[in-house]
Amino acid sequence: MKKISFVFVLMMAVCMLFTACGGKNGDDTEAAQPTEAPQISEDLGNELDSFSDEVIDADLTCTITLGNWPPDTAAASELALFEGYKATMEKQYPNVTLVPDYYSYSLSNYVPMAKGGTAPSIFQPPFTDPQLLISQNLVGDVTDALKEIGVLDKFSPSYIEMLADDNGRIYGLPRDGYVLGMHINVALFREAGLVDENGLPIYPKSLQELAEYGQIIREKTDKAGLVFPASETYGGWLFTNIAWNFGCVGESALEYQDENGRWICNFTSPECIAAMEYMRDLRWKYDILNADTTTTDWAGAHSELGTGEAAMNFAADDSVDQPTSNKGLALEDFALIPFPEGPAGRYALAGGTCYMFSPDITADQGRALMAYLKILGKLPFLDDDIVAGMRSDYAAKKDRGAPVLPAISAWNDDEYNKTKRAIIDEYCNVDMRLYNDFFDSISEGTITLKAEEPVFAQQLYRELTAVIQRMITREGADVVKALTSAQESFQEYLDDEINN
Amino acid sequence: MRKKMRQRTGVIREYDMHSVSVRVWYAVIYALCIVMGIIAVFPLIWVVLAGFKDLKEFMSSTSLLPKSFSPEQFKKTWSQLGLAKNYLNSFISVAGSVVCALLFNGLLGYGLSILKPKGCGIVKKLVMLSLLVPATISIVPLFMNIQRLGMGNSFLPLWLSYGANAMYVVLFIQFFESLPVSMIEASRIDGCSALQTFFRIVLPLSKPICAVITIFAVNAAWSDFLLPYLVLRGGQLQTVMVRLFVFSTEQTVNADTMMRSVVFSMIPPIILFILFQKQLTENNVSVGIKG
Amino acid sequence: MNRITRHFRGKGMKMQDLRSWLIMLPGLILMTFFVWEPLLESIRMSLYKTENVELVEFVGLKNFISVAGKTNFTQALVNTFSYTFWSLVIGFLLPIILAMLIGETSRGKGLFRTAAYLPNMLPGLAVIILWSAFFSGGKTGVLNIILSHFGVSAQTYLTKANLVIPIIITIATWKGAGATALIYMAGMAGVNSELYDAAAIDGANVWQRVRHVLVPAIKKLTWTMLILQIISVFQIMYEPMVLTKGGPDNASLSLMQLMWQYAFGGSMDYGKASAVAVIVTAILLVMTAVYSYFNRKESDWD
Repeated sequence: MKKISFVFVLMMAVCMLFTACGGKNGDDTEAAQPTEAPQISEDLGNELDSFSDEVIDADLTCTITLGNWPPDTAAASELALFEGYKATMEKQYPNVTLVPDYYSYSLSNYVPMAKGGTAPSIFQPPFTDPQLLISQNLVGDVTDALKEIGVLDKFSPSYIEMLADDNGRIYGLPRDGYVLGMHINVALFREAGLVDENGLPIYPKSLQELAEYGQIIREKTDKAGLVFPASETYGGWLFTNIAWNFGCVGESALEYQDENGRWICNFTSPECIAAMEYMRDLRWKYDILNADTTTTDWAGAHSELGTGEAAMNFAADDSVDQPTSNKGLALEDFALIPFPEGPAGRYALAGGTCYMFSPDITADQGRALMAYLKILGKLPFLDDDIVAGMRSDYAAKKDRGAPVLPAISAWNDDEYNKTKRAIIDEYCNVDMRLYNDFFDSISEGTITLKAEEPVFAQQLYRELTAVIQRMITREGADVVKALTSAQESFQEYLDDEINN
Repeated sequence: MRKKMRQRTGVIREYDMHSVSVRVWYAVIYALCIVMGIIAVFPLIWVVLAGFKDLKEFMSSTSLLPKSFSPEQFKKTWSQLGLAKNYLNSFISVAGSVVCALLFNGLLGYGLSILKPKGCGIVKKLVMLSLLVPATISIVPLFMNIQRLGMGNSFLPLWLSYGANAMYVVLFIQFFESLPVSMIEASRIDGCSALQTFFRIVLPLSKPICAVITIFAVNAAWSDFLLPYLVLRGGQLQTVMVRLFVFSTEQTVNADTMMRSVVFSMIPPIILFILFQKQLTENNVSVGIKG
Repeated sequence: MNRITRHFRGKGMKMQDLRSWLIMLPGLILMTFFVWEPLLESIRMSLYKTENVELVEFVGLKNFISVAGKTNFTQALVNTFSYTFWSLVIGFLLPIILAMLIGETSRGKGLFRTAAYLPNMLPGLAVIILWSAFFSGGKTGVLNIILSHFGVSAQTYLTKANLVIPIIITIATWKGAGATALIYMAGMAGVNSELYDAAAIDGANVWQRVRHVLVPAIKKLTWTMLILQIISVFQIMYEPMVLTKGGPDNASLSLMQLMWQYAFGGSMDYGKASAVAVIVTAILLVMTAVYSYFNRKESDWD
């Protein structure tokens, strides 16, 4: 008997271990709310007070979990901002429970969560993923909630295409868009004598000039002309834009659907070959690239530019805070210019991040989520709360020392866009002459915005990155051969995934 | 001079030292050992030195020494990244893992080496076979199982995973098999149950192997990041190593901060090493890996 | 041992066995959950077309054919063998030599042991990140700084396809060689020093004693360490993942890394990931079978 009781005690102990941990989990969810009162700078505090405290709907009862909640380690001003949003939401919808979740989206971590029913109600994937998630039924439909709140018709059509299924049901909302251009370290341009009488940089308008200016910078300053992050998928991503400017569009597009609906990839068009030869020449003919091109990643590229190790970096308007407030480049030494044109085109890649929702959201949760996004100022509404939200957003940016720039709107709503611009101008902390050409090129349409390649872009980037790596690590590598092999490999991938 | 030397155990004997060429070789051996020591330690010293540099200096300076030795940068990184929390998480994760490693593997090893119930041979073979299977190879289905049971974002699966370590089981088996049979028998005659025997006789006799497994498990649990990364995801329970892995994949921190994080991630293992270097470098390692 | 077993079993076989099994049960459940079941599951998954985590359709060997037919698989396979090759070139003899060297020292031996073992204690991920700074190109890479003192101009390392695998192996060797050396030292300590004296009396010089006494003594251990090293290098994954992301141009992509890419690299193809996993397991099993065939006589198990 004694022996059996011992086994029992052991089993009990094991069970206790399990239950004890279960209990602990519960505590953690509560502890997940930041406990320390975040510091609110004074003017920011005033901004937050202007949020409306009136109850909008006391009947709406549900719980929503909010992904991408800033971690405790985020800047205090950012935390305060989100705490403010949450407080407002709780006042307007007293019966909606908000659970902050620090979840940060990646395709690999999201899928099992969506399957296991543990995905947060709202999260933020990049624009490359929605179609995949929609086709696999891993995200929730918010069409009705959008109609209810009245913004369904203001969607920019390109976004509808990205965020809806074939039946026009909508599964996501644009959070912010970006347009690819080029970051410039003006200090290095100055050192190389590439500035005009006003001290503004004389920057490359074309890819050819880019190579030449890069050489001048290399000669005069001994720094890299261009930092090209050719690691993993990033290099291929940037390359698609270069390839478009060499003419890889329309009939020569990198991927297209033939008359039978079969997806075809085409890396061996003369245009694509020319673009890849250009990449090779950047390394072997002009020698303007940074040293460890193949292991340089996104952050590394910004570091090189921000610390003055490289003069140019292909990057978008949404990452201007990286070289500046994050890596320490003075605001007056930084400029954003349009993507250089190529021999056959002037395109700039446009993309962004969106909000998507867990596959199991209810109609009530959908309503609550739209209300939350409205408070965040992500819907095209112009009441005081939204304006206040924008202001606090820009104030926080200014506080951090990041450039406050006009944002590229994802909404087709003139009034909304104008008001937004006016507010931004108020907070602007940079010499707009260093940015005007970039934004003008978009608003004047001198540059054509183009979304990413339509299907399996990440895989396409991976293949192309490998080719780029080959080009810049082996002198005299065979461009056609490498592209042919990448084309075969990616075609096989397409055949496997969608052509059957 | 030579008199002071301890008893030699190597190939070169006292009497060989009369030969000049052997003495020259002996000097060469020492020189090589010193070079080895420098190579082993230099990167560690370097990373600490690099930690004193800020981003600009880290990216552009061609000097191995930092401009200043102010601990400011370290303090800043520590508080900015909130590493205290990750440290605490790591400690919790390590503590639970060690308990599981000792308890579950110990009991299994006890069963397989001393109790040997009918049919345990096949289990023993399975355990041996698992030694050859890399843990990461079935990480995908394992992760699915964990998600299905709703154990995501919790330490529990990480703790328990240390209770299923074939290597530790084998170490226990090897050690238990070498225990004096008479003591276990005596305990049985005294009327102890199998489980009582385990806790009262076997475990106290097994302090050396428990120490080794504790050290191994502490070090492994501290260094582990693949399964913890998938299980703990972006949450508040991230350990130091998960944080470091996230830094390296999601590119959210600067290179200089990264090096300081590396320093912080190495401190506990180094302390562990300093405390237990005798156990680690003398007799026990051989037991460890030969299994 | 048998005596104890008999003793335990003395009082009623079945009850006793049942209790013993109960004691082992928690461990068995955990082994099943964490090791055995996932392994079988990955074999099953490799035979199915998967949509996320669900097995939608039995496809037989299609995943294997598709995976193995791709150029990146061939490259990863070649690379993985290349890793193994370089690890034998760089990392196999070194620990033996280190063990011999440290074994000969008397004063400072403890210090040398300590220094040799230290890198093994450091977290693997931290080690890789730390060494990435050593091999970074440009003038600020640590190796370049050191070389510049000898008048060598700045080189790039991780961009060179033929250098990446040896570099990764060098880093792994830096971390592991010292610990392996200590194992060899333990093996060498098993040699009774009187044997050396006896050999010396027979007129053997130092070198002859190494060849005829020391080397034979560690032969079996060396053989074991060889297979262990091959098995462990074959699973190399996070090192290239963090250091080079498999580049340049897949020159450092390993099989296990390919598996991770299929599963978590964006395509979420768990079926194909499992197929790669099964292939790696199969290769390892073959290697182990070969090993145990040669080692059968000396098997300590059972």
